[in-house]
Amino acid sequence: MNTRLRSPLDKAGRILLAAFLLFCALFAFIPFVYMFLLSLTQSKSLYFNMGDLSFDFLNYLRVFRNTNFLSALKNSMIVTGSACILNCVLSSMAAYGFAKKKFPGNRLLFRIYLTTLMIPGQVTLIPVFAIMKNIGLLNTYPALSLIIVNAFGVFLIHQFMENVPDELLEAAKIDGCPEFQIFFRIVIPLIRPVLVSLTIFTFITSWNDFIWPLVIVTNSKMNTLTLELSLLKGQFATNYGLVMAGSTLSFIFPFILYILLQKQFVEGIALSGIKG
Amino acid sequence: MSAAHMFVEYAADLYRSCLLTAAYFTSLAPAIFYRKGVFHLNAKNKDALYGYLYILPSFLLLLIFSIIPIFLSVYFSFTEYNVIQSPTWVGLNNYIRMLKDPFVTAALKNTVIYTLISVPLQTILSLVIAALIAGEFRNTYGNFLKSAMFVPVISSAILVGTLWGLMLTTDGGLINNVLALFGIGQINWLGSIKTSLISVCITAVWKNIGYFLVIFYAGILDIPSSHYEASKVDGASGWQQFWYITIPQLKPITYLVITLGMIWSFQVFDLVYVMTGGGPGKSTTTLVLYIYTTAFREYSMGYASSIAFLMFIVIILLNSLQNLLFRERN
Repeated sequence: MNTRLRSPLDKAGRILLAAFLLFCALFAFIPFVYMFLLSLTQSKSLYFNMGDLSFDFLNYLRVFRNTNFLSALKNSMIVTGSACILNCVLSSMAAYGFAKKKFPGNRLLFRIYLTTLMIPGQVTLIPVFAIMKNIGLLNTYPALSLIIVNAFGVFLIHQFMENVPDELLEAAKIDGCPEFQIFFRIVIPLIRPVLVSLTIFTFITSWNDFIWPLVIVTNSKMNTLTLELSLLKGQFATNYGLVMAGSTLSFIFPFILYILLQKQFVEGIALSGIKG
Repeated sequence: MSAAHMFVEYAADLYRSCLLTAAYFTSLAPAIFYRKGVFHLNAKNKDALYGYLYILPSFLLLLIFSIIPIFLSVYFSFTEYNVIQSPTWVGLNNYIRMLKDPFVTAALKNTVIYTLISVPLQTILSLVIAALIAGEFRNTYGNFLKSAMFVPVISSAILVGTLWGLMLTTDGGLINNVLALFGIGQINWLGSIKTSLISVCITAVWKNIGYFLVIFYAGILDIPSSHYEASKVDGASGWQQFWYITIPQLKPITYLVITLGMIWSFQVFDLVYVMTGGGPGKSTTTLVLYIYTTAFREYSMGYASSIAFLMFIVIILLNSLQNLLFRERN
């Protein structure tokens, strides 16, 4: 690769360094392997030995049979799916409005959007709960997915709107293309890369969200995966295999997606963090 | 439940949905009237109208779930409120109570300690690892390392907390097993007041490193290679390059990582909730955890709001610090 940057390390040093970094990577990854292996055992202790392994996936069956995990899986999928769609549609609409339409108050409103990014959700936990309760949204899918939508997506897409040339929009308008078709047929395809990033970011935020479901859900039928997982530990304290089976189940979907879309994941999550 | 009762509930639901729908269509009214030809607009005004329409749905959400709640939160902090009855004004009582509450002091102290341990640790570790990978392994091996270290980032804090909770136990937990190899006796990491907070810190650092690593790595790739070439001509060692080129060039990114880390640390909740529940004693009670228990276990929503407001001030200060540092750079 870029040999010019190579510092004057000899071969032995490089091997040593490679080994050290491998150790770091293993340290990050091994706990997940441990989690999976433990989920395949029935032992009541954490001392792990290969002999305990059995590939009958009994713990997984038990998790489905004895807890709400299956409905939690369904709930998480519905909530996360609708959060992703909502966030992408609403945010790209707003970003397009801010970037390409001139109207009084445009800049002021955008500044208000940016300001709300500074407000952490934990601060508004109580009033949002009160509002949700008063409009009867507790224990509903809309509440769980709407809460994920915030100004961040608008901010992210707004930066990307420069890639949409004004001339193209003008030309479409002159050709008599109706306004909303301009948006769906021209703008959306042009901002697709950033929508992929936003979808992944929203997916991870919503799938891993804990504090909002904890507050909004009071009926166990509506539990999301993270909620169910947090209960599992209390219910089956020493049944480690079972708890780890639940953990593995909650992790499997993000993990598969990560394997498939690694590059987009890293961009979507890590570089999205660089906000305002 | 009696039929009459159900009917009342149903009617109330219906009423609420009608109200929401009505509110939405009222805000859409100008557009509807325009389509019906009630009034005419020139091209410029038409564009402006569309601008509003594009923003409207997301703005309504922002208004209901961010802007109004912030003002409500300030209002609640001056009241006594248990959700069932409407709030009653109590003036500064909550704030006075806060000053005397040992849990608030403990939560604040724990949050600060948590921040002081985890932020430097994750910043330094991720910077060093990023520099090593960028310096020596800009190849498939380096990509593999980054990918592996990013896995904890995509997992939920609840999962990480559950997993590490098991790894830190004394009855065969992985960490104590490994330490035993070095002759270190069993440590009850989460069960002892002395080690509980630091255990949560280490877990958080473990989860966050991959995230900051990727940010640092991208930053290092942006440093012009001419800097390194020039220093090489001058005979600088790898360590000197890191110290005199990489670190100064990464200053803005380091600011970002530090302030982001601080803001995250101040909001820590999931990890302590699932790992220790705030205990033993008050040893791991953080601000958000205390806000949560006060509001949703004891139903003192007013008092909890005043603590939330305190946290809000702290986070605003941290954010302004970040903005200030960024302005210095530009």
